[in-house]
Amino acid sequence: MQIVVILGRVLDPSGIVVKGKAGRIFVNREEYMLQPADRCALEAALRIKDGTGAGVVALPRSPLPDDDVLRQALATGADRAVYLTGDGFKGADAAVMARVLAATVERLGGTDLVLVGATTMDTGQSQLGSRLAEALGWPQVIGAWQVEAVDGKVRVVRQEGSNYVTAEADLPAVVTMLSGALKPRYPNGVRLINIYKDVGEIAEALERWDVADLVSVDTLKPLLERRGRDFPPERERGVRVNGTLEEMAQAATDALQQRIGG
Amino acid sequence: MDFTFSEEQEMFHAMFRDFSAKEVAPKAEELDHEEQPPLDTLRKAANQGFLGATLPEDYLGAELDYVSYALLIETLARDCMSTAVTLATHVSLVAMSILEHGTDAQKEEWLPPMAAGEMIGSFALTEPDAGSDAMALQTRATYLPPLTGGGQEGGMILDGVKTWVANGEIAGLSLVFAQGPVGVEAFLVPKDATGLTVGYREPTLGLRSVTFNTLYLESCRVPEANRLGEPGEGWTVAQRAQNRMAVALAAAGLGVSENTLDVAAQYATERVQFGVPIAKKQAIQSYIAEAMGEVEALRYLVYHAAWLADQGGDFSFDASVVKAFGARVACSVTNRMVQVMGGYGYMEDYPMARKYRDARALSIIGGPTELHDIRVAQRIFADLDLEIAP
Amino acid sequence: MDFTFSPEHIALRRMIREFAETEIAPIAAELDREHRVPFEVLRKLGEIGLLGVCFPQEYGGMGAGEMGYCILMEELGRVCTSTGTNVGAHIGIGAMAIHLDGTPEQKEKYLTPLARGEKIAAFGLTESGAGSDAASVRTRAVREGDSWILDGSKVFITNGGYADIVTVMAVTDPTLGARGGITAFIVETDWEGFSVAREEDKMGIRGTSTAELVFEELRVPHENVLGKVGEGFIPFMKSLDMGRLTLGAACVGGAQMALETAVRWAKTRKQFGVELAHKQSVQWKIANMATELEALRSLVYRVAWLVDTGQPFSQLAAMCKLYGSEVASRAIDTALQIHGGLGFSRDFPLERGFRDARIGEIYEGTSEIQRIVIASNIFREHGVRIRP
Repeated sequence: MQIVVILGRVLDPSGIVVKGKAGRIFVNREEYMLQPADRCALEAALRIKDGTGAGVVALPRSPLPDDDVLRQALATGADRAVYLTGDGFKGADAAVMARVLAATVERLGGTDLVLVGATTMDTGQSQLGSRLAEALGWPQVIGAWQVEAVDGKVRVVRQEGSNYVTAEADLPAVVTMLSGALKPRYPNGVRLINIYKDVGEIAEALERWDVADLVSVDTLKPLLERRGRDFPPERERGVRVNGTLEEMAQAATDALQQRIGG
Repeated sequence: MDFTFSEEQEMFHAMFRDFSAKEVAPKAEELDHEEQPPLDTLRKAANQGFLGATLPEDYLGAELDYVSYALLIETLARDCMSTAVTLATHVSLVAMSILEHGTDAQKEEWLPPMAAGEMIGSFALTEPDAGSDAMALQTRATYLPPLTGGGQEGGMILDGVKTWVANGEIAGLSLVFAQGPVGVEAFLVPKDATGLTVGYREPTLGLRSVTFNTLYLESCRVPEANRLGEPGEGWTVAQRAQNRMAVALAAAGLGVSENTLDVAAQYATERVQFGVPIAKKQAIQSYIAEAMGEVEALRYLVYHAAWLADQGGDFSFDASVVKAFGARVACSVTNRMVQVMGGYGYMEDYPMARKYRDARALSIIGGPTELHDIRVAQRIFADLDLEIAP
Repeated sequence: MDFTFSPEHIALRRMIREFAETEIAPIAAELDREHRVPFEVLRKLGEIGLLGVCFPQEYGGMGAGEMGYCILMEELGRVCTSTGTNVGAHIGIGAMAIHLDGTPEQKEKYLTPLARGEKIAAFGLTESGAGSDAASVRTRAVREGDSWILDGSKVFITNGGYADIVTVMAVTDPTLGARGGITAFIVETDWEGFSVAREEDKMGIRGTSTAELVFEELRVPHENVLGKVGEGFIPFMKSLDMGRLTLGAACVGGAQMALETAVRWAKTRKQFGVELAHKQSVQWKIANMATELEALRSLVYRVAWLVDTGQPFSQLAAMCKLYGSEVASRAIDTALQIHGGLGFSRDFPLERGFRDARIGEIYEGTSEIQRIVIASNIFREHGVRIRP
């Protein structure tokens, strides 16, 4: 069995400050982490691998300036990873990526299951999984808590309202994982050192493909054009009341009456 | 200048040493490990008159001068800093405040039981947002007029939260500071006052036998007769109390420093490494010598401040100088002496570790060193006509 | 000169930091309060391979070098000195002795399970009469056929209460001193004659086992002699040398934690109408702390590079330990002071850091011993021989 996992990265939120008034995001510390939901997808894939000996291939969620995300995936236990690169590839949105990734999966061949995070942490984007399933023509199960591969099917536990529901789909299928669904494992030390030193078998497991070999130039044109960015208006500040208990009670009552207009 | 203690002071000193050796030293380790307040010791101390150390005989006090009182604190602190701090809180912060600012009626009501040890005093000034900035009190004192036609007496209603109240849960009487209509006011609040709750006890790094509690005042009623000093005079009461306590804490710092120095020096003569007692190593000698210099300087600073207090008049400048210096010396000396004892200085079944932890408090309680430094600088620059705000 | 960390070390640090913050930081206070060793953390560290971070991959290690080990110690020191101490005694002195001087058979048999974290090591040197004066050990080892019989005791042994393997130093020829009279042995703690006598009650690093070990007619096979008979002092000194560097690295972490905590408080806590960050005395403290920390960091990682490139490092390693322990103590003390009463309270982690840091200037060679080592090395270059 072969599982493809799609992983992306996001700025570590502890290093950024959003200032609505200034209309800017200040990046105090530029550090990236794996998309938490994608990490759950990788963990789900590795658990299936632990149980069945499946092979896991890591692909990027979007154009990346370097292959660090894929090295992390290999260090954590993926068997193979493909870094996608090429002219015209920058700025690809979910629609473009879905086509590129579908072509990549087809070129890889032999894939039974695609796992990807349901939603990105920074943009809240949940399209990639569904678009990819459409592009591949495969069934899709969205927002999984748990995934199992049994007898040519994938069995998924997902939340519907306040219920947990089990859904099944025939393989091959696309399943998107919820962030927080599983506790992701830590990378394996030896694999980590070797992949980052570029030594040993693991170094050969990281491949580099040019998107020009996969799709036409037209396919790389994004659907969306980003024209600008706005911030929501500042929240109105409240009124602070001081004084004795009586004074405070009076001031609070007055302020409330003013608001209600009574 | 006569640098000797008087015969009477020497006699007191011998009495303090005997008491401490018999009642304080043997219990110190257990009290610390069990985090128990030294109640039994306080009872015995009361029998000796120590709980009314500087109070006049009329109020069952021992009428000690400040120098003798400093000797008492120093001696107790040699064996157990927690005991010394507990006693000093009771005497310097609370009892002496009543003596200096109280009406005759207040003195007669509260001082004898305090001197007899029937009532321990605690000091409630600090709040969560009023630490170094003690003036920023949020605890409020409002006047409640009596109901006309009787039925309810007038008085004060106190509302607020006090933290780090030393002796909190063992006290029968709390000296509480609150913001009144014209300024800070000080109140004597007995344990059984309605609306007073002694709460959470702070677990601490050192001084583990001192109880530091949070006090909740929820519409706490006290009669107006329990106001200490005039309305708005509370800040003066607090400052003078802290000045007295500063000297006492410095004396405690002196005691713990001397003791650790003695213990480490003894150890250095017994511990043989590389074929000789480590006392023969120059590095150890310089640690001991430097510590000795610091201790001696502190000793004279403490007794000078105590002597100034005995002269009457304002000793606030010297109080800050000696407190800041005492904290530095105590932390420096105990730290060095732990090093002399090596691994044994780190084990809790030897006294050094406890004394190191206890000494560390001195840079923080009774006003952090940084604050006392500002006070000293303020005085220096005020003499040069420049006003400094903290 | 390239002062950047290589990619594998950056990736390693990132992983360890996440592990430390997720698995260790949340339980650090509890370890101290309950006086317990974090066995579950050690197991997880072992599973990742971190308990053999600097050992060769052929012996179950991770192959990340001394640099990788320093990074591990720094990141552990940043969240929990106790955990770092357990790990440091295991890797840095216990297993390290076998890595430095073991035969291939000894490494196969002992280093591999230690590197994989399947077994834990300790370093049995100190005795009640042999602290700084390590050479005056009295534990005796007498040859009997193809074994040695050990008798004696060791004190203050980190991990001693639960280790599986202890490298023990014993006197094999009382007529000779450190030169020729002392031998190192690899001892398995489940052998007959080995027992743990007591656990110490310490001021800090309470999440560690500091034990007294007793050997009563403990039979050790001759093949467990580490290095050569009579030359046991050498592997021990080499291990201690390496250990000094990584202790310095742990101090980088501890000082880092102190600085981060102090800055966070200074920007939050208001007194006299402003945040403490606006007070010059606080600014000075923070600036001094940060400067010393950077100086220490540079020193430590430079020495790690010296080790990994096979260059002499002993003198500088002693400086790492000496300076590091003092920098960390100062940093924690300053951070505690900035926090005022909160720093003194056991409800806040700084006082634990204060108690933990104090051992730094004492164990694995007191600051006094480090100074003697440093001064000796300097004067030796000028032809003057110094005795301790």
